[in-house]
Amino acid sequence: MSVHRLLIASALLVLAAGCATQKQRYDWGTYDPSLYAYYKDPAKLGELSISLAAVIDAADKNHAIVPPGIYAEYGYLQMQQGKNRAAVDLFKQEETQWPESKVFMDRMIKVASTPVGGSAVPSAAP
Amino acid sequence: MNRLSKLAFMSVIVLSAGCASQPQRADYSQFRSEGPRSILVVPVINKSIDVNAPDYFLATIATPLAERGYYVFPVNMVKAVLADDGLSDSNLVHAGDPRRLGELFGTDAVMYISIERWDAKYVLLATTVTVELNYSIKSAHTGQELWKNHQLVVYRPQQSSSGGLAGLIANAIVAAIAKAAPNYMPLAHQANNGAINVKGTGLPAGPYDGLFGKDAAEY
Repeated sequence: MSVHRLLIASALLVLAAGCATQKQRYDWGTYDPSLYAYYKDPAKLGELSISLAAVIDAADKNHAIVPPGIYAEYGYLQMQQGKNRAAVDLFKQEETQWPESKVFMDRMIKVASTPVGGSAVPSAAP
Repeated sequence: MNRLSKLAFMSVIVLSAGCASQPQRADYSQFRSEGPRSILVVPVINKSIDVNAPDYFLATIATPLAERGYYVFPVNMVKAVLADDGLSDSNLVHAGDPRRLGELFGTDAVMYISIERWDAKYVLLATTVTVELNYSIKSAHTGQELWKNHQLVVYRPQQSSSGGLAGLIANAIVAAIAKAAPNYMPLAHQANNGAINVKGTGLPAGPYDGLFGKDAAEY
């Protein structure tokens, strides 16, 4: 009887492991739902910004890796508010953590470092 | 077979049906010859009548790709930068040369997604919510298609089992709520999972997964 139970339990475990989504590689915080909420209501840009900052803070605190794209997304929101220096720092962090982003980040760093009138992105600076 | 082992056997069948992989294996030869490390998701083509569907969907796609082990470019930033460059029309972006995007962003691969259906239909006192998507990954180096997938996810709320007039009314209420504010997000997540994480048809492990380049038996 108990052998059977054990068999069933282990069969279930094996199968569940076979198709269950694995443990998360990164801690995304509320990135997905916050991005969705922002697309639903653009007034929620502030909340999206806070959630991105929280993902970075949580990773720093836990000595974990900031997920792909998060430094850059946060940096872009900074840039839209005219905080270009903060944006450049974040783009550099993205590039350091994720070398795959180098071409794109270098291009954005250049744009963010160019005085008003930069081509790729309208400057939100006053 | 006694009852318990029968039970175990049946639960095994039920479980494997729940996560069964599609029978035919995709052709991974192009994908393997390139071994892309990074994926750029471009704005989504919308063939549904819901104008918000592409943005809502975009909020679901980055995490499963990154969790699979790929570098995924920041989806919202990419969308905004493309728009600033005059490329907010997803049809235009999809029709363009992936190699051009490769030069602009330095990506190995580009993911193109088309929303075929994203709707809620009210039929016979029940609302059926449907999400249907086509996914394609093309090389940003050669322009060739490396992988594609199709997903159709349909959700129909549980019918009330109470029967009679009370059951009908309960069903109508559930359906009306689903129709008024259908929640597509779980369906989008399920579609992404079905596209990316199924052995034999999904995406091979990316460079940040320990199985990168070692899962040829499954993909």
